[in-house]
Amino acid sequence: MTQVTSETFDQNARVALRDTQLRGALDNLVKTFGDRRKEVIKTVDDWEGLRNEARRIKDETLLNLDRYLEQFTGNAEKAGTVIHWARDGREACGIILDLIDAHDATNVVKSKSMATEEIHLNHALEAEGVNPVETDLGEWIIQLANETPSHIVVPAIHKTKGQIADLFVEKTGIEKTDDVDVLTNTARKVLRSRFAEAEVGISGVNFGVAETGTILILENEGNIRLTTSLPKIHIALMGIEKVIPRFADLDVFLKLLPRSGTGQRLTTYQSLITGTKRERDDEGPDEVHIILMDNGRSRMLAHPVTRQSLACIRCGACLNACPVYQQIGGHAYGAVYPGPIGAVITPQLIGLKKTKQLPYASSLCGACREVCPVKIDIPALLLHLRAEIVDGESDGIAAETQVKKKLGERAAFAMYSFLWRRPRLYSFGARLSRAFQNTIVKNGKARSGFSGLVPPLGAWTHWRDAPAIAPKTFREIWKEELSKRND
Amino acid sequence: MIDTAAARAEILSSIRRNLAASQPFDAVYHEHHAPVAQPAAIVQREKSSPNLLVQFKENLEAVAGKYRVVSGEQDAANAVQDIVNELKPRTIAVSDSARVDALLNRINTNVRVLKNPSKSELFDCGVGVTEAQYAIAETGTLVLESDRERSRLTSLLPPVHICILDAKNICGTMSEILQIVQNDLSRTVTFITGPSRTSDIELTLAIGVHGPRELHVIVISDETNA
Repeated sequence: MTQVTSETFDQNARVALRDTQLRGALDNLVKTFGDRRKEVIKTVDDWEGLRNEARRIKDETLLNLDRYLEQFTGNAEKAGTVIHWARDGREACGIILDLIDAHDATNVVKSKSMATEEIHLNHALEAEGVNPVETDLGEWIIQLANETPSHIVVPAIHKTKGQIADLFVEKTGIEKTDDVDVLTNTARKVLRSRFAEAEVGISGVNFGVAETGTILILENEGNIRLTTSLPKIHIALMGIEKVIPRFADLDVFLKLLPRSGTGQRLTTYQSLITGTKRERDDEGPDEVHIILMDNGRSRMLAHPVTRQSLACIRCGACLNACPVYQQIGGHAYGAVYPGPIGAVITPQLIGLKKTKQLPYASSLCGACREVCPVKIDIPALLLHLRAEIVDGESDGIAAETQVKKKLGERAAFAMYSFLWRRPRLYSFGARLSRAFQNTIVKNGKARSGFSGLVPPLGAWTHWRDAPAIAPKTFREIWKEELSKRND
Repeated sequence: MIDTAAARAEILSSIRRNLAASQPFDAVYHEHHAPVAQPAAIVQREKSSPNLLVQFKENLEAVAGKYRVVSGEQDAANAVQDIVNELKPRTIAVSDSARVDALLNRINTNVRVLKNPSKSELFDCGVGVTEAQYAIAETGTLVLESDRERSRLTSLLPPVHICILDAKNICGTMSEILQIVQNDLSRTVTFITGPSRTSDIELTLAIGVHGPRELHVIVISDETNA
């Protein structure tokens, strides 16, 4: 397995940058999804109004999350759903394993779910001898290759047709082909036999409606419909932030999510599921279990900046728009959630200790904020997390280094504020450095050999040029211009 | 079984504790970030065409669905007959819709028609025929409710799905449909917009990955000019 971790983001990114095939795939992603999104958002009258409304609904939900979860639970139970609660991923895996055991099931099919990726459900099941089959085409490819998804919406975006064909030749015994339809058809055939014998289906949830206890799941392939209607048992893993207040609110999100995610007006299928099979029904599972999982989410409520993270509807638009993701892809982040949203969610889910580099994996350009359908201010979140790292509130930095770092920084800022409060001294200092820089600056740039600032500021100029001090200050020019006019 | 009542209590109290802790920050935060104002009932409608039937047709065809409008049950039966003659399936599975049943009775074929098909029969079946309770013009979407129609897997497992739709049941928007279906909410409400598709391999569109490769919608309308 080629698993990398967030701790080595810097190195991972460098490796990814040299991967020309990956960058070709990412170019394709950016163009295809980016252009489609731009076109399709024109098909609603007021995209901005829609985004505002979505955010308002999410904020309303999050500020009353306990109440809406209780309402959701009550209504889902009334409809026959069994609700389970999981504090963390380990508990969620435990509940799912128990359910599988209780039904003596061995054939388990899964549809794509980021929440199940987050808790590494497949590993947990495999460790107990259960081998779940991923049925989303992209996820199945990833599972056959024993890799991890590199994108929230299109998990196998990093793989070429040729690589996928080789994989299918090896795993399914087909003849080598470069026809995408043949590859897709192979998946259809193999996975149908899995569906035919499946006893348990595991899915995620896009939205849970408090008012009715309904869950909504969106897809294009049809595997979710199969996963949730063929097996006797349906288990849905749902993050506690997925609840929304009213059934009518679905309209807003059904307009936003497909447009932002894949640039579609609507995905091919939506399943609205409320409870278990009714007396009259000839189809559908006998049991529906929903697992409401916290796994680090509730603590994001403790601050308005971090709370926004819970508004995310997992569309992946910020990945496609991010100049960093566009160059390095998803695996470099070394975490389940990549891209800008991953850089803010991962540290909050698993702690800053192992993810210190992620909040810096951004140029703060704000492209993510521009495209986010629920207007999450990701740059503000990145800065918030950077501040937490610097403040050493994280458990990652040794106490001594913290003090040392702080002493150095404090001294620098004390010096700066000392000068700022004394204008004459400040301008004298500026003139002095201007005179001094003549020895190392030529044509507004530092001469060779003097390309950077002295340590520790040199770290800053390692990748950029330090600008030379201008020959005249603004105040000097102002004074001159004034005196010219007065002449 | 893990005791999830304890987890429930703990998660809910963690939510309350963290929300309470955020209050002083919220006060400061909202000085700089005005909370998004409640909009004065913005009507979110997709840019629409005056004629629902035309709009439905355009949007269905945009997602590779096939559209045919007919003026009565006999015409609808003929349309189904055309598809069956062309595809020559060995079996046709049907839902329990009375209208579908009536149509199939008018068809002249020696193809075996499966009523109340079993799952294994459906896996081998060539064509599935259902009705749709409603449709959404703004997206070209079919709406199927489990309380109104049984054997709904006929719309998913066979490689071809023929769907019969009464033109009177085409609504303009998703918002209208949500109101209608919520009124008497079925166990499962399924929205279908075009045939099954995927772009998981190099973002190349492939049709019919898990569901049908072909979706034919036969609209029965009194106004045949559409």
